[in-house]
Amino acid sequence: MQGKRYRYIQWDAHSSPIAFIVAVLIFAIFTPNHLFIDPRNLGSLAKLTPDIGIVALGIGILMICGEFDLSIASVLPFCSYIFTMFFKAGLNPFAGLLLLLPIGAVFGLLNGIIVVGTGLPSFIITLSMMMFWRGLLYGISRMMPISILSYVSKHPGFEKMLTGQLGPIPMQIIWFLGFAVVLGFMLHRNKFGNWIYATGSNPQAARAMGISIGLVKTICYMIIGALCAFASVMQSVRLGSFAATQGIGFELKAIAAVVVGGTSLRGGVGRMLGICLGVFIIQIVENGLILMQVPVFGVETFIGVAVVVFVILNTAVRRRVARESD
Amino acid sequence: MKRTLTLLIIISLIVSFGLLMGCDRKPAEEVAAAPEVTKPGEGMYFRLVTHGGDDPFWAVVQQGMRDAAEELGCRADIDLAGGDLSNQQKKFEEAVASKPDGIAVVINDNTAWDKPVADALAAGITVIGINNDDTEGPAGNQRLCYIGQNERRAGYMIAFKVFSEGKAKGVNMAKAHVAMAAEVPGAAYATVRAAGVKDAMKEFGIKSFEMIDAGGLEMTTVESRQTSYLVAHPETTFMFGAGGICTDRLTSSLKNAGKKPGEVLAGGFDAAPGTVEGLKTDFLVASIDQQQYLQGYYAVYTLYLYNKFGLTPNIDTGGYLITKDNLGLIEELSGTYR
Repeated sequence: MQGKRYRYIQWDAHSSPIAFIVAVLIFAIFTPNHLFIDPRNLGSLAKLTPDIGIVALGIGILMICGEFDLSIASVLPFCSYIFTMFFKAGLNPFAGLLLLLPIGAVFGLLNGIIVVGTGLPSFIITLSMMMFWRGLLYGISRMMPISILSYVSKHPGFEKMLTGQLGPIPMQIIWFLGFAVVLGFMLHRNKFGNWIYATGSNPQAARAMGISIGLVKTICYMIIGALCAFASVMQSVRLGSFAATQGIGFELKAIAAVVVGGTSLRGGVGRMLGICLGVFIIQIVENGLILMQVPVFGVETFIGVAVVVFVILNTAVRRRVARESD
Repeated sequence: MKRTLTLLIIISLIVSFGLLMGCDRKPAEEVAAAPEVTKPGEGMYFRLVTHGGDDPFWAVVQQGMRDAAEELGCRADIDLAGGDLSNQQKKFEEAVASKPDGIAVVINDNTAWDKPVADALAAGITVIGINNDDTEGPAGNQRLCYIGQNERRAGYMIAFKVFSEGKAKGVNMAKAHVAMAAEVPGAAYATVRAAGVKDAMKEFGIKSFEMIDAGGLEMTTVESRQTSYLVAHPETTFMFGAGGICTDRLTSSLKNAGKKPGEVLAGGFDAAPGTVEGLKTDFLVASIDQQQYLQGYYAVYTLYLYNKFGLTPNIDTGGYLITKDNLGLIEELSGTYR
């Protein structure tokens, strides 16, 4: 029985890779002229997916911890604005990026302190913070786009580091995978990762074990803030400008990606591999549907259906595992 | 202790917000030292009720509104309903209830604004239209006048320019395919501009057209969808951005799809930084600047002039064709006044 449970748990942990492989195969085979695997298409996916992917890594970890963060949709453009101001002030972009990471972490720290301090649902707190930061950003920036092309062109090394190519591979995907490896190590091979799972799956038991669940959650929020800061710079350098519309909709898309990857909305369940694959699955579905020439107005519908289908599958597998183990 | 700290943080955020919002106010000494000059619009209050959102287009409208308000010495506010018609109508009702000296509203629906505008006028509130108008003009809506671009004509102008370029290059118009990416495909701005593009298509004998759902205002999402479309449709000969964000991302999308400058003849609207770059590097043929600064600026002035002298001018702010040749000043002012 235990062996059988182990097998199903393994299958549950690996349902995301199966979903990913199925999605890739479907689009590789059925897109006209197999356009999905055209190098231009794969290159474009590799270049653009990490904008939301890097932030989704942090969202996934936080959701395993049992909380949400909707404020990323505003923190990301806010960090982009701050970085643009650094550029305009003449600060070296490498120094600017290093300075921005702890600033991003402070955004997360504020979220963490308020969520932990008030004990209120993080969904509401971070939704409010999303509105707060966006309103503040509009007030300060007046929503004016700011071109940074002239600044970026003076620092080709910085531009290449973030948005160049390593052979045929865009740097963005390398950064995404790098962050995934580091955060995956933290989640799966480190005591802090155990604390994250314990906090998400049973906060009372975690507290009884001496884990400071408030601290764990706050650190997770800070990780998201720092990731937002990095992603904002990478995105701005690629766009060539600051735009107040950066990150709009990322909060829900990141949650959808993470859930598709097998992370539970209730906390305590999820894997870094699943989070990564969830991000790719969402982007692949969107990309593949357009390549298959789905009617223009149907793309959003199909994406919604795909998300629901994946969540149902993951939930069904999890319930089956729970029944088998009883 | 934890709750105290949390409360302190929340209060600090509120205070910093207040301080930052007051940043653009002049210091007290400067205000006190300024000689007293009575401006003509002092005491007046105007509201702009728009469907705008985070789109940088509206930042320029706001700039125009602010500049005019400062010159006239009046107060002016702008509502940004984020593309939500019912939200915009709610804001319009709130604006009417606040009894301003005039309201400038974006009429982005042929029927939804008929009664609200008529009721406001009946209640003695001056209402003019800006940015978008009823397709039947004054016959369709009772607004006193309209300040903005003729969207259909603008669509026609940009398409005419781009198609002319194609014809000069020997493109087979009968086999050409036109794609138009829209941030919000069902919105009035997109459908009316597309109608203008189709008018030009008829003149050039082009039959194939498709509207692309670019997925909203987020730049990466727009770029991703446009790129995917271009990869999926190698037959695309002409591509347009229906709005400023789609046009801004066109150049990157074309590059991502492996296109060289001129391989797909492209154009669009507004003068965002990415669009300016596209014009400079020949990925874009032209863009239409609807000079939205003037929509905010003249909205305030027109409402003032109506209050003073009953004047209601219709002002066409749009149709300024930007090409590589006349970029000059546009580039300097891109994102601020253009």
